[in-house]
Amino acid sequence: MNFDVVIIGGGLSGMACGIALAERGKRCAIISTGQSALHFCSGSFDFLGYVNGFDVETPATTLAKVIPPTHPYARIGADRAIAIAREVPAFFERMGVKVNGSIDRNHYRITPLGIMKPTWLSLADFDAIPEKARLPWSKVSIQNIAGFLDFHTAFVADNLERIGTECSVSAINMPEFDHLRTSPTEMRSANIAKVFEGNDDAVRHFAAIVERNAADAHAVMLPAVFGLADSHAVEVLKQAVKLPICFIPVLPPSVPGIRTQITMRRRFEALGGTYFLGDTVTSARMENGKVAAISTRNLADDELRASHFVLATGSFFGHGLEARPDKVVETLFDADVVADGDRDRWYNHEIFAEQPYMSFGVATDATFHPTKGGKAISNLYAAGSVLSNHNPIKEASGAGVALISALHVADLITPQQQAK
Amino acid sequence: MNISENNFEQCLKCTVCTVYCPVAAVKPEYPGPKQAGPDGERLRLKKPGFFDESLKYCLNCKRCEVACPHDVRIGDIIQAARIKYSKKKPGLRDMMLANTDFMGTVATTMAPVVNASLGLKPVKAILDGVMKIDAHRTFPKYASQKFETWFKRHAQAQQARYAKQVSFFHGCYINYNYPQLGKDFVRVMNALGYGVQLLDREKCCGVALISNGLIDQAKRQAEVNIASVRRSVQEGRPVIGASSTCVFTMRDEYPHLLGVDNADVRDSINLATRFVQMLLDSGKAKLNFRSDYKLRVAYHTACHMEKMGWAAYSIELLRHIPGVEVVVLPSQCCGIAGTYGFKKENYPTSQAIGSSLFKKIEELKPDFVVTDCETCKWQIEMSTSVPVQHPISILAAALK
Amino acid sequence: MKTNGESQFDVIVVGGGATGAGTARDCAMRGLKVLLVERHDFASGATGRNHGLLHSGARYAVTDRESAEECIKENMILRRIAAHCVEENDGLFITLPEDDLAYQAKFVEACNAAGIRAEIIDPALARRMEPSVNPELIGAVRVPDGSVDPFRLATANVIDAKLHGAEVLTMHELTGFVIENGRMKGVKLLDHRSKLTKTIYSKLVVNAAGIWGHNIAKMAGVSVNMFPAKGALLVFGHRVNNMVINRCRKPANADILVPGDLICVIGTTSSRIPFEECDNMLVTREEVDLLLAEGEKLAPSLRNTRILRAYAGVRPLVASDSDPTGRSISRGIVLLDHETRDGLAGFITITGGKLMTYRLMAEWCTDLVCRKLNIDRKCSTADIPLPGSRKEEAPAKKYYDIHAAAAPADKKSYTTAAKQQELAEKSAEWRHGSMSAAIATDDDASRALVCECEEVTVAEVEYAIRDLHIDNLVNLRRRTRVGMGTCQGELCACRAAGQLAKAGRCARDAQDNLTHFLQERWKGMYPVTWGDALSEIQFTSWIYEGVYGLPVADNK
Repeated sequence: MNFDVVIIGGGLSGMACGIALAERGKRCAIISTGQSALHFCSGSFDFLGYVNGFDVETPATTLAKVIPPTHPYARIGADRAIAIAREVPAFFERMGVKVNGSIDRNHYRITPLGIMKPTWLSLADFDAIPEKARLPWSKVSIQNIAGFLDFHTAFVADNLERIGTECSVSAINMPEFDHLRTSPTEMRSANIAKVFEGNDDAVRHFAAIVERNAADAHAVMLPAVFGLADSHAVEVLKQAVKLPICFIPVLPPSVPGIRTQITMRRRFEALGGTYFLGDTVTSARMENGKVAAISTRNLADDELRASHFVLATGSFFGHGLEARPDKVVETLFDADVVADGDRDRWYNHEIFAEQPYMSFGVATDATFHPTKGGKAISNLYAAGSVLSNHNPIKEASGAGVALISALHVADLITPQQQAK
Repeated sequence: MNISENNFEQCLKCTVCTVYCPVAAVKPEYPGPKQAGPDGERLRLKKPGFFDESLKYCLNCKRCEVACPHDVRIGDIIQAARIKYSKKKPGLRDMMLANTDFMGTVATTMAPVVNASLGLKPVKAILDGVMKIDAHRTFPKYASQKFETWFKRHAQAQQARYAKQVSFFHGCYINYNYPQLGKDFVRVMNALGYGVQLLDREKCCGVALISNGLIDQAKRQAEVNIASVRRSVQEGRPVIGASSTCVFTMRDEYPHLLGVDNADVRDSINLATRFVQMLLDSGKAKLNFRSDYKLRVAYHTACHMEKMGWAAYSIELLRHIPGVEVVVLPSQCCGIAGTYGFKKENYPTSQAIGSSLFKKIEELKPDFVVTDCETCKWQIEMSTSVPVQHPISILAAALK
Repeated sequence: MKTNGESQFDVIVVGGGATGAGTARDCAMRGLKVLLVERHDFASGATGRNHGLLHSGARYAVTDRESAEECIKENMILRRIAAHCVEENDGLFITLPEDDLAYQAKFVEACNAAGIRAEIIDPALARRMEPSVNPELIGAVRVPDGSVDPFRLATANVIDAKLHGAEVLTMHELTGFVIENGRMKGVKLLDHRSKLTKTIYSKLVVNAAGIWGHNIAKMAGVSVNMFPAKGALLVFGHRVNNMVINRCRKPANADILVPGDLICVIGTTSSRIPFEECDNMLVTREEVDLLLAEGEKLAPSLRNTRILRAYAGVRPLVASDSDPTGRSISRGIVLLDHETRDGLAGFITITGGKLMTYRLMAEWCTDLVCRKLNIDRKCSTADIPLPGSRKEEAPAKKYYDIHAAAAPADKKSYTTAAKQQELAEKSAEWRHGSMSAAIATDDDASRALVCECEEVTVAEVEYAIRDLHIDNLVNLRRRTRVGMGTCQGELCACRAAGQLAKAGRCARDAQDNLTHFLQERWKGMYPVTWGDALSEIQFTSWIYEGVYGLPVADNK
């Protein structure tokens, strides 16, 4: 099979890159081993939330001053990274994904523990809270679905009370959940979302209970378990409840994340892209220091040939990197990695301290070509969390690096073209 | 059985599989792929008593495996557990549903009688009440002449004139119920310059035997098929099947669930649409199409097609046909899963699983739904107003 | 509790390991008024940090006949009184090509002399009995080894002590003694929760604090010269073997692989460590590599098995010579009457021994306690089963009967619910034996799984919080196995913390607990984190730090 660009990895980064390229008329294929980390996404996209443990308020003006030279943003160029970031809301909009937020000023998202974390963009379901120190509402009603173990009203209330919010807590029961509750394990967010999928009556019934429970609260906080295939259920719910609704993410799987994944894949395919799900790249055929073709488990003898290849395989979780007892390797090309050779130095003994392994990744040249034996693979580009020298968790930069590097790589592949 | 050692330990407990299990959301009695698969496997290694018979509700659609970011063979783990631990012996109904070729041989010889009686209310009532085959189900009609008979009488003689040859694994459905698809396949292959042969011996691929717990029989049939495939490959003929399920079963379920080694010939077992599309794509063969062909079709990705990862070939092939507009339906299970949906106890689950797909099809109202799987065809035809065709039949009809 | 200087108790037992819990039980069963004091949690020291091997004694047969005899006797007793803590798996002593097969005959002879049934079997039969065993073995002996869950064992002893009137204080650390005129009068305790100290008086104090008993004795002004020998072990992600596999040779490093519940454990190493390290033992890279290299020789498939954790325990050995490995020392029981030994009346130390002989140690100690108090009551701990192993309390499958009788018309829904209940009860019954009757799994919500890897239901967590001395998530883990499975807390930690909050515990404490719990898990993980384990912890960090925002600081 022949493509212009083959993208290895179907997560946020691979898909953003594929969509951007497909928008510019490139014939693209994405190969994804399984579903992506968007399934665990909070519903917000971070760009740069923290520097040395302090909240970043204005990423656009701060970035150039605080970012170390090896960081992917610095390698893209701080100005260029910000410029790309400004394009992202419109990029999402074209897919049909509405987001709140701006690169000029971070807003806050409420975590499942009721903690405020700085972030860049939030899906439209989630409110962009402007301040860390207080909510826009002085009194909120936190409501869970009875028997749903992956959302904890007591923790949300505890932390919101600390910033002066008056909280009331209630649990909602509806006959629609009884069936689900029969299973000891399957009362999960996505299965709850399925109850409301295409069942507006159930959503309105739910809304009525929410309103009754809310009493005199100024806003309602609910677990983010609405709108799986599209945001219809969210819209119906928001319309039916007169109060503002603030969704809070829950334990995996993430319903808004899955919806984003589905929407992005739909957009990619609508632009003519081919998405191979559940397939794994098994080998690459090199010619003159370039990638000529790759083979996958499912497509076997039918190689995928392309002029450009993108490595968006992720970090350890995505299996872009693999830790062996004696070393860290990039799994597909055995490209050079930035990683400590001594296992004893991969970890900090405190789990929530900065973990060195988080910054491990593939080594690239200035134009994001992974190197092998110090030599750049000139038609291969790396994007997303497979990149080295950033700590997505400590910096709150995971989604930002994924998106910005993916769009930057798309620019590198199509230097003359603008998005349609 | 043959689950690669400890593959279940690759599970990171990320829960993605549970999102894509068509059964868990509608049938809470089923523990879901995570619990039934990798989590349950740990428990079963402790004591086989932790095996839970409700694993039988698994459709074996493998959508959990496709979704798994860590390549855990969840579906295989579940099926292997059923094979290893289940104490339930298949009853008459399951034996009957599972033995598609035996039933087919009997039925085709008496096709008019069988077709008429399977459609009769009292017969359906007996099937429903006594056999626990749901009365809503329409049995696929049996053809009065088997494909093999037609082929030997009307097609075999002309095949030798082609320089290149393939063997055709027709499967039970084409042989007993729908020989026309087999005829279409022969026509397409001939148009591409390929002669078609039958295998020396072909048995039902055994997918229904596996899902109904008749493992020994499935294994015997698998061995016969792989021996035939091996001879064919040695003689230079790759083996092509039209049914995504038969092809998937022979390629993957044989080694994974039945312990039948096919490593030497696995890559030579191919799906019709993939074979044709790769051929056309390579420029080594060309087809002449009618200019007056106009059709709007919706492609449905069958579960095993999704698992093989080959839907792109069928879709590309359809797009290759001038005048055909292809809409791709979101890939989801239609609910039938072979004989699963025929069982009375599974009927509501089966329909609930497919309901959103049926709704989409009715909204789209295409001329045909197109799919590579015969059981999806039954389910969609029973549950919607739209007729269903195989891509090869669409292709054959578009030929000059 | 009164603090007026009067003896409130006959005996205070210091240490909530198996020995302390067993001693408290024995004393209480003989009618004494008992207080059990533990600074952290039951089984949080050496008791919970070993193989969980129900020794047949075969391991000691050649080198230490006395220990071997004690072991096999206690082994048979534990099968009877602690059935719910024991898995009767049997064990193999295998000879590999690199070992001397001549040792086998000597070994079998020594076993038989000690009363341990040891049967030489054909290597081919051994391979069939235990398919994971190294197929290159040239000899095999079958012995009555088994597995024992030390957490359950210690807890069951505490529960029974309480049933016989004992009082129990966890999270209470001994800070000093009240000694008047050469007589022990009581203990000073620091309550780690309230940070308050208190003094409690008793007629006798028993020091059953394992290796920590060294410093406790010192606090009382007497010297018990113990030395800490560290033993490191690895936990694998699932049961690779179903029989215990030992090497048939002189005891050495990493020569026992024990299946236990859903996992298996290889160990141990042996090295002398300073006392300061006893509270914070790190497993080194060398220890991990050694355990893996040796473990693979017992069961080659360990090479491809996910390693969940590394941990280490300290053998409380009473020094009798300067052997740095501690292996040639008998793990014999040491019972010290400090009145006769040191002139300190009312103080007794029980130490040495091993998990297998905890009951015998308790019996000897309680015999001495009774002599001191002039009480003439016989020990009955070998005859009366522990709570959880009492047949008369076995959970009747009441649900079926009730529903079958009450709602025959509603047979279908009853079947589903009953089936789900049966499944929910299976794991709980495995863990709590007949005590699981107290776990109310009769509605859907109570059967929901908090921990999916280990199948721990909401009902079991509620039961544990209510009845089993739970202060935090780590305690809950020891009682129920929450967070001990493949994901090491990734999904269940927050659910369990939520259950603590739901049970009325302070929401802030529950969140701090969550952080502490994840840290505690990480401590055992990082020495063995590569491959899938690293993917797992990256995912866990992504969830808890990235999405959830741990650790909780004040929202300001």
